[in-house]
Amino acid sequence: MYFIQHIESITHQDSFQKENLWSILKPLEADHALISPDYKTYIPAAALRRLSTILRMGIAASKACQEKVALEFDSISVGTGLGCLTDTEKFLVTINTVSGDILSPTAFIQSTHNTISGQISLDLKNHAYNMTHTQNAVSFEVALMDAMLCVDEGKKSVLAGAADEAIPFLDRLRGSLIETTHPFTSGATFAVISSDKNQSIAHIRACQVIFSGDNPEAAVSAFLKARQTELTDSDLILEAGEQFASFGAKHHHFLDYSGYYQSASAFALHLAHDWFLENPEAKNALIINNQETGKLGLTLVSRNEA
Amino acid sequence: MRIYVTGYGVISSIGENVEETLISLRSEKTGIRQGQKTYTERFKVGEIRWSNDELVERFSLTQHASRTALLGMIAAKEAFKGHELLADVKTGLISGTSVGGMDVSEIAYKDFLNGETDDLNVYRNHPSGTTSEQIAKELGIDGYVNTISTACSSAANSMMLGARMLLNGQLDRAVVGGTDGLSQFTISGFRSLMIFDDEWCRPFDETRKGLNLGEGAGFLVLETEETIQKTGKKPLAVLSGWSNASDAYHQTASSPEGLGATLSMKGALSIAGLKPEDIDYINAHGTATPNNDLSESHGIKNVFGNTVPPFSSTKAYTGHTLAASGGIEAVFGILALNNGSLLPNLNFSQAIEETGLTPVKNYSEGNDVKHILSNSFGFGGNNSTIILSKV
Amino acid sequence: MSDLKENLKAQIIEQLNLEDLTPADIQDDAPLFGDQGLGLDSIDALEFIVLLDSNYGIKITDPSQGKEIFQSVNTLADFISKNQ
Repeated sequence: MYFIQHIESITHQDSFQKENLWSILKPLEADHALISPDYKTYIPAAALRRLSTILRMGIAASKACQEKVALEFDSISVGTGLGCLTDTEKFLVTINTVSGDILSPTAFIQSTHNTISGQISLDLKNHAYNMTHTQNAVSFEVALMDAMLCVDEGKKSVLAGAADEAIPFLDRLRGSLIETTHPFTSGATFAVISSDKNQSIAHIRACQVIFSGDNPEAAVSAFLKARQTELTDSDLILEAGEQFASFGAKHHHFLDYSGYYQSASAFALHLAHDWFLENPEAKNALIINNQETGKLGLTLVSRNEA
Repeated sequence: MRIYVTGYGVISSIGENVEETLISLRSEKTGIRQGQKTYTERFKVGEIRWSNDELVERFSLTQHASRTALLGMIAAKEAFKGHELLADVKTGLISGTSVGGMDVSEIAYKDFLNGETDDLNVYRNHPSGTTSEQIAKELGIDGYVNTISTACSSAANSMMLGARMLLNGQLDRAVVGGTDGLSQFTISGFRSLMIFDDEWCRPFDETRKGLNLGEGAGFLVLETEETIQKTGKKPLAVLSGWSNASDAYHQTASSPEGLGATLSMKGALSIAGLKPEDIDYINAHGTATPNNDLSESHGIKNVFGNTVPPFSSTKAYTGHTLAASGGIEAVFGILALNNGSLLPNLNFSQAIEETGLTPVKNYSEGNDVKHILSNSFGFGGNNSTIILSKV
Repeated sequence: MSDLKENLKAQIIEQLNLEDLTPADIQDDAPLFGDQGLGLDSIDALEFIVLLDSNYGIKITDPSQGKEIFQSVNTLADFISKNQ
C-alpha cells in the first residue's frame, strides 16, 4: 500500500501549508500569480540568492514535507515537464549576446532538469536514491510510479513530487509546442509516501501511463477494471478537460484551478487527497491526466479504511 | 531473477555500430578530433561527422528530429534489431538525455533573439521527453515511455529503472540507454565552468586539465528469464547490479572523499551479491576534470582498498558524451565481457600523486573478465553504478 | 584605490546576487570564501572571473589562480591595479 503521509503544494492558489485545499480553492482570477511562501524560512540565504522559482518551490515544498514526517527520505523522485526554463533561457541569452569565452556559469549549472532533485538532496543533506523524470505532460506520473516502485522495494519514506515554471516565452509556443487555452502558470507539489499507514487518510491505489491513447474511455475503463472498480464508482474525477464530465459523482477540470503547467496533475493528487477531508463519505478519486493528445496518466486515490 | 541483456546498439565518434566500435577500441583509436561544425570548430570534440539530415538518410530513419533523438533512434534501432513486438511481451523504452532537442531549439531561439522569424514548430522537438517518444515511435514501442534526466548519469539510471521495472513485473522487456547530441548550449556551458581541455583529455593523469565533449547514444535491450522463453533471444550479458546515491556535497563539484561514488559502488555490489574482489574491470566515469577523477579515485579506494582491479576511463576515446555515456560504456562493458578485454585509458602517463592509481594502459583480450563495474556521475551529485556480468 | 574597492564591492553584490548585503557590509580584508567570510563557493569563483573580464578586461584562464586573487577585496583590488 502507498499511504500518503503528507503533501504540500506551492501554486497560483494559496495552497502552501494548508490543512484542506478545498477551503481555499477558487477559479483562477485575471490577476492570478504564484503565491510564494517566505523562502528565507526554508532556504539558507547563501543558497537562495542563486535559485530560480522552480528550485525555490521544489526545495520549500520538500522541506515542508520532511519537517512533517519522522523518517528521513530514503528515496527522492521528481518529475518535471520542461524543467528549469528560467535558467535555460538565461543561458541561451548569454551565449548569444556575450562575446568572448568567459561566460557566467550559474544559469548553465542550474539549467539541467535534475537541479531540482539535486538541490533538494543538497539542502536536506540526503544521500539516498535521487531521480529526475521528464515525460512531457505525464512527468509527474512516471516519477510517482518510480516512487511506488521504491515502496515495493522496501523503502520507508519516499518523496515524490513535481515542479514546473512558466516563462513569458511559453506564450509564443501556444498552438505549436503546447495546446491549451489555460494561462501558463508555475507550481510544485511534493508528497511523502510510505507502506506504513501512520496518520494517513488516503492512499494511492494505482498509477499508470498510457501512450497508445487513441481511445481514452476504453483505456480508463481497463485501468479501473484491473482494480475491480469502474468510472461510475468514482466519487470525484479530476480531469485535464471535460471529456469525462458526465461520469462520477463530482467532476473538476483541475487546470481551472492550477493553470497550465505540464506537471499540474501533481496538484490534482493534492486535491484528491484533501477531498477525503472535505467529504466523509467519499471513497475513490480518479485523476485523468489527458493534457496531451494520445497520452494518458491515470491515478486512483482511495480513502484508507478505518 | 536475472535481468538479461539481449540486444545492444551504439553510435559515437569511434563507430556507428557495435562492430565498428570494437574495431576502434582494439586499435586504440580515439574519435576525438578538431570539430567540423560552426560551434565545434575551435575545439577537440568526439563528434559524429554527419549532419542531422545526413543521419536521417544514412540510417533510413522515418522522422526528422533533433540530433539527440536521431542518435538515440540509431543506437536503439541497432539494439532492437531482430526483436519483435509481441502482444504478450509488454515492452517499454527508457532513455536518458540532458539537453533533449536543444541542438535545434537553440537555432530557432537565436533567430528569435536576433529579431528574425523563428520557426515555432522547431520547438516541438525541444522537450527531453519528446526525444524519447520519437525514439519509441521509431521502434514501434508504446507500452511505456520515460525519460531520465540526471545529467551525466542519465543512461545508467535508465538501465537501472528498466531492470527494476522488469523485476517488479511492470514490464517484460525494456529498451534502455541514453543519448545526447552536441549543441552550442552544452559546449558554452562546459566552457563557462572552465573544465574544458583544449588539448586531448587525460583521465586519471596528474596533468589532467578537463574534459573533451562528445556525442552519441548507447542502448540495451533488457529481458527477464521468462521473457526470453517467449522471445527465444540469446543473452549477451547479465545486468546484475545497479545503484544510485546522492553525494549532497555541492551543485557541481564532487565531494573530495568520494562519498556518493562510494555509496553507489557499494550499493551496486550489494544488489549483485558480489564482493569487491569479484570485479575484474572498472569502467570509470573518469571525465578528466581535476575534481571528478580525484574524487572517483578516492571512492574506488574506499570500496576496493589496496587491491583495486584493472580500471580505466574510455572518455579519451569518445569524449564525454554526457547523458549517453553510461549507455555507450555499457556497450563497451559487454564487448569487454565477451572478448575478455581490458580497455585502455588513452593519453595516460603519470598517476595522480594523491592516490597513486594507474589505469589500464593498453588494450588486451583473452583476460578472465566475469564482472564489470561501470560508473556514471552527474551534476548535482547524482552518482550511479551498474554491474554487468558474463552469462 | 578606495574607489576601486567600493566599485568592486558593488559589482560583487550584483554579480553574485548578494541582495541582502550593501557595500558597507563587506570589509576590505574579510575573507570572501569559506564559512568565516561571505561563504562564497567555487561557482562564485567562476563568477569572479566573469566580473574581472567584463568590468576590467582582465582574463584569467586557469581557475586555480583564483585562490590567491579572490581572498578578499584587498587582494582583488591589488590584482586589478597591477594587471590593468
